[in-house]
Amino acid sequence: MPSKFKTLVTNLVAAITVIGFAGCGKQETSPTPGASSTSGSQFIIGMCQCNLGEPWRVQMNADLQAAAAKHPELKLICKDAQNDTLQQRAQIEEFVSAKVNLLIVSPKEAQPLTEPVAHAIEAGIPVIVLDRRLMGDKYTCFIGADNQKIGKAAGEWIVKALGGKGNVVELMGLQTSTPGQDRHSGFMAGIAGSEIKIIFSADMKWLEPDARNEMESALARFDKIDLVYAHNDDGAHGAYLAAKAAGREKQVKFVGIDALPQEGVVYIQQGLLDATFQYPTGGAEAIDTAWKILHRETVPKEIVLGTRLFDRSNVAQGGVELK
Amino acid sequence: MANSSLTQNLGRLKKILASPAGRAFLALALVLLVGAIFNAGGAFFKPGTHRDALRQMSVYGILACGLTPVIIAGGIDLAVGSLLALVAVVCARMAIHWSYPGFLAVAAGLLAGTACGSISGLITARLRVQPFIATLAMMVFARGLAKYASGGMKVSTAILGADGSYHYVEVPALFRALDHRILGGNVSVVTLVFAVCIAMAWLLMSRHQCGRYIYAIGGNEEASRLSGVPVVGIKTLVYAFSGMCAAVAGICQAAQEQQGDPEAGAGYELIAIAMVVIGGTSLMGGRGGIGLTFLGVLTIGYLDKILSINAVPEAGRLVLTGIIIIIAVLTQRRQRA
Repeated sequence: MPSKFKTLVTNLVAAITVIGFAGCGKQETSPTPGASSTSGSQFIIGMCQCNLGEPWRVQMNADLQAAAAKHPELKLICKDAQNDTLQQRAQIEEFVSAKVNLLIVSPKEAQPLTEPVAHAIEAGIPVIVLDRRLMGDKYTCFIGADNQKIGKAAGEWIVKALGGKGNVVELMGLQTSTPGQDRHSGFMAGIAGSEIKIIFSADMKWLEPDARNEMESALARFDKIDLVYAHNDDGAHGAYLAAKAAGREKQVKFVGIDALPQEGVVYIQQGLLDATFQYPTGGAEAIDTAWKILHRETVPKEIVLGTRLFDRSNVAQGGVELK
Repeated sequence: MANSSLTQNLGRLKKILASPAGRAFLALALVLLVGAIFNAGGAFFKPGTHRDALRQMSVYGILACGLTPVIIAGGIDLAVGSLLALVAVVCARMAIHWSYPGFLAVAAGLLAGTACGSISGLITARLRVQPFIATLAMMVFARGLAKYASGGMKVSTAILGADGSYHYVEVPALFRALDHRILGGNVSVVTLVFAVCIAMAWLLMSRHQCGRYIYAIGGNEEASRLSGVPVVGIKTLVYAFSGMCAAVAGICQAAQEQQGDPEAGAGYELIAIAMVVIGGTSLMGGRGGIGLTFLGVLTIGYLDKILSINAVPEAGRLVLTGIIIIIAVLTQRRQRA
């Protein structure tokens, strides 16, 4: 009996250790910035990324780092909360107690992170909130894109591309997430008044394999599909693969969203997708704004980023900006 | 006279339906009946729908093939979804970025999967860590390795050059071959790979002495040890086999996505376990078989496809799937009493 108990305890300890490691496995060890920010660089910026599992967020960090590299007086320290709200909260608190000069937070969710950010503001640290919103107004500046606007732009492009009528399949991002809902409602506003029919819609949860499966179902049911509107480029690519396997990829147009340089833009270059709309990371804008705040310039409370359209005619020129 | 032969036939039918295989067949038949009724404007009767359904369930099915011996031996393997991602990344990196020949990429992937599976097995069998904990650790570890090996990005045909711009390469022949259809476009290659995995699992479990050992260990591990069954070796073997199947699934996943996604396969282990259990293999070990798993894979795979062609919203899909799994498992339990 005691040995059995011992095994149980050992196993529990093992489990806790494993879960603990999983939680903080990739946390970047950073030199304690402290108030001694004079060593070489003048300003230390702490960046709390909610997770680096998505390519888009990896791109955001890359954009931030590239922009920060242009200002030798800025030193950027990035932490990754691995999609764990409490971890992100702890990392914000770590930065506050280390007295960084400015904080950039791309929060996982609003409610639990609003107060930690407010505490940072109370401690005199300016905070730039990137991509997702917080509650209230205790932050310095919000920078983000507008999914509804992007969805609307996609809808309007599709109306033009199809000459005002046609059968469209909509492959939606996770419908319990705000980006998924906004990309849908914006799209509906964009096609309003046209004769475009949504003949099949499914939630592919942002995942390429799911998009491919749903598209196969749509292809089995409908002989005439003119266009697929997917809420991200992965989804559009999955739909393309399904249509290609059915030998129908030439009859269908594929439109995605996000336009990451190594995904959507490449798919356009390869001629797989017909159009994609950039969902900007705001990395460069965040560093610009940070620089202004640190040099005591006034910045707007809210910066809404524009989108860029990439299609086959303009992909070589790097897309066109949409107003 | 005629009456007595009828009752005899009825008795025989009852006997068949009471067997685990009969129950599993019944569950599958019910799902197919639902499909025939809600056929989405005839889409269910198109051969392409069945080809696609079989392709779609193949990756899960391959994982379930590996899980069946593990579960019959009284264990569990939670790491298969993460191993799938790790192998997909390794394979994509070698085949796409380093343009290695296909067989080398496959060999490296299989080696990686089998090695990770063996490690789980050794930790469970020799160090006596509970399989739930050991494979939970492997699940986290392998996911980390997959992210490390891919640099957090999907390993695709777009390659970042030294100057920061992207150039892209062809999809490797290995991936094209695996995502191909043969027999006049009626069968996907991954479905054949699934069939091969079933055959391998069947060989391991029925045509080999170690098959009897696997059932014996699942029935009573201590008694098996005392009667001379090489428990450590057999347990390591089943986890290694599970790792190898996860590797095969990873290669198939990479081929179908044309990329290695370090986030791939999250949650797949639970679907694969559900497929094994719905077939009638007991999570307590000692009972079940690969044929039952095959029926379980078909049942859940077809259920998913039928909900998809009818464009049932996500919420309804999850609710219905949950209800059907419970019903299927309850019928399995009644048969035991």
